[in-house]
Amino acid sequence: MSARLRVVRTARGVWVGWPGGAKFFGAERRDAAGGSAGSAEVRAPMTGRVVQVAVTPGATVRADDLLVILQAMKMEYRLTAPHPGTVERVLCAEGQMVDLGSTLVSLAPAPDAA
Amino acid sequence: MKVLIANRGEIALRIVTTLREMGIPSVAVHTQAESGAPHVERADESVALPGADGYLDAAALVAAARARKATAIHPGYGFLSQSPAFAEACAKAGLVFIGPSPEAMRLLGDKRSARGAAEACGVPVIPGASACDSLDDARRAAAQVGYPILIKAAGGGGGKGMRRVDAEGDLAAAFAAAGREAAAAFADARLLVEKCIAPARHVEVQILGDGKDAVALGERECSLQRRYQKVVEEAPSPGIGETTRQALLSDAARLARHAGYKSAGTVEFLVGPDGTHFFLEVNTRLQVEHPVTEWLTGLDIVAAQVLLAQGGALPAPPAPRGHAIETRLYAEDPHHGYLPSSGPIVALEWPQHPGLRIDAGIRAGSEVRPDFDPLLAKMIAWGADREQARRRLIEGLRDLTLLGVVTNQAFLIQVLESDDFRAARTFTTTLETTRWPEPPVPPEAAAAARRALASPAGTGEGDAGPADRYSPWARV
Repeated sequence: MSARLRVVRTARGVWVGWPGGAKFFGAERRDAAGGSAGSAEVRAPMTGRVVQVAVTPGATVRADDLLVILQAMKMEYRLTAPHPGTVERVLCAEGQMVDLGSTLVSLAPAPDAA
Repeated sequence: MKVLIANRGEIALRIVTTLREMGIPSVAVHTQAESGAPHVERADESVALPGADGYLDAAALVAAARARKATAIHPGYGFLSQSPAFAEACAKAGLVFIGPSPEAMRLLGDKRSARGAAEACGVPVIPGASACDSLDDARRAAAQVGYPILIKAAGGGGGKGMRRVDAEGDLAAAFAAAGREAAAAFADARLLVEKCIAPARHVEVQILGDGKDAVALGERECSLQRRYQKVVEEAPSPGIGETTRQALLSDAARLARHAGYKSAGTVEFLVGPDGTHFFLEVNTRLQVEHPVTEWLTGLDIVAAQVLLAQGGALPAPPAPRGHAIETRLYAEDPHHGYLPSSGPIVALEWPQHPGLRIDAGIRAGSEVRPDFDPLLAKMIAWGADREQARRRLIEGLRDLTLLGVVTNQAFLIQVLESDDFRAARTFTTTLETTRWPEPPVPPEAAAAARRALASPAGTGEGDAGPADRYSPWARV
């Protein structure tokens, strides 16, 4: 099968376009944020502005508790805790612009969460 | 006349195009970050706006117009286009506001008073109550019209402060939440209650007025929406009969006359399953989807706005010809919660097909910024009939190359190819209630990506460099 493709390499990965569609394929990258073993990195699903940080380091959260609200292109996105745990670090501040994929909060699992 | 365009992106460019054609000098405005944007380069002059508010800073816009000796301001859509205070500030500074009078904007822009105006001139409104200042008012109104109902913010739009309530038990919580949201978003907690019409089509009428008389240029079907944002628009509406069409056109023109409407505007209606129509709201401005009507009528609606602002006569509405469909190309991922996407556009090629119009605010190298609406461009196809327009639009979308941000390109094709769209079974809930599986990546595309990732990264960093630095088309 033959199709017209368009391939553009960027620093973060590769964009491939085909008739009627396109997709970004990210390159593997090392985790810059660190954090202890087993902790979850809550990352920005889009580039945008942090409009609210709802937690502080040391806070105990339940699953689905609000961590951060991001805003981009008039849309608000609520980032919630993927599991119960303790907030290890908060790596963003209200008003700050954050990039897609950057770690906003790191969360250590609750001791009793298997 | 010399016109400052208080807007950005595709609509600012589109307005400049008409002004040039009319021999009218144009002044673009921009924020610091957008100094190199296409709309800035296309205009005769440009002014940098101070501060972070940019396109929303009425005082800065008026000052810019005066500094460049502009005599009029075109507000485009969004931003300050529906602000009576901005129209008043323009008038006070001796500038012509290309749009309706502040009085007409106030009357029709507020959902409560617009509903009253519609009732006053015999335009059917959705059963409900304009004024629900207390929970008891809302409860009475809901009991009268029957559930489900919608609670709406009188001063709002875009779905903010709006709640659907299916049963009385949920009313109190929804009423409180809608009031809070409306107060936060619009500094106006006034609410109204309307019966929820479902399934409903969204059909709107393009009007032009000269302050006394008004004409209807035709309807547009805009049922396909997500979060109250339109995605596909077309004309004529495939979902209404001739009797309904004539009723919509005459109701819209009558309301515009009643309001003393001047310039271009849109009267929106909901059409219920039995063909009954109800007044929804008025957009007192040029609308995103105006090209659909332009193509059917051959009228340039921006030129008509400029002529009407100069005191010109109302054009006679031309007989519509053929069928036009518009798709909005958004920088968002419809297959993953419509998450917006920003970044540099690293490859861009527009199709050049007969019967295709593209209104775009971007070019290769443009930076799609997270601060604005995700609209990148509109692709509009015209055909002798609906099927030809549909096929042309699909072909146009297939031949579009846009890399660097995630877009809804594949989704738009999916919608246009769906059985529901082909059969015109489209309602305001269709996009949100239909499952749209993510189309698979062609295996050869995935293979090309793997090869490119395995090779050392070149200098092709997506840093808004010139497009010809990137790989050319390749055959696989």
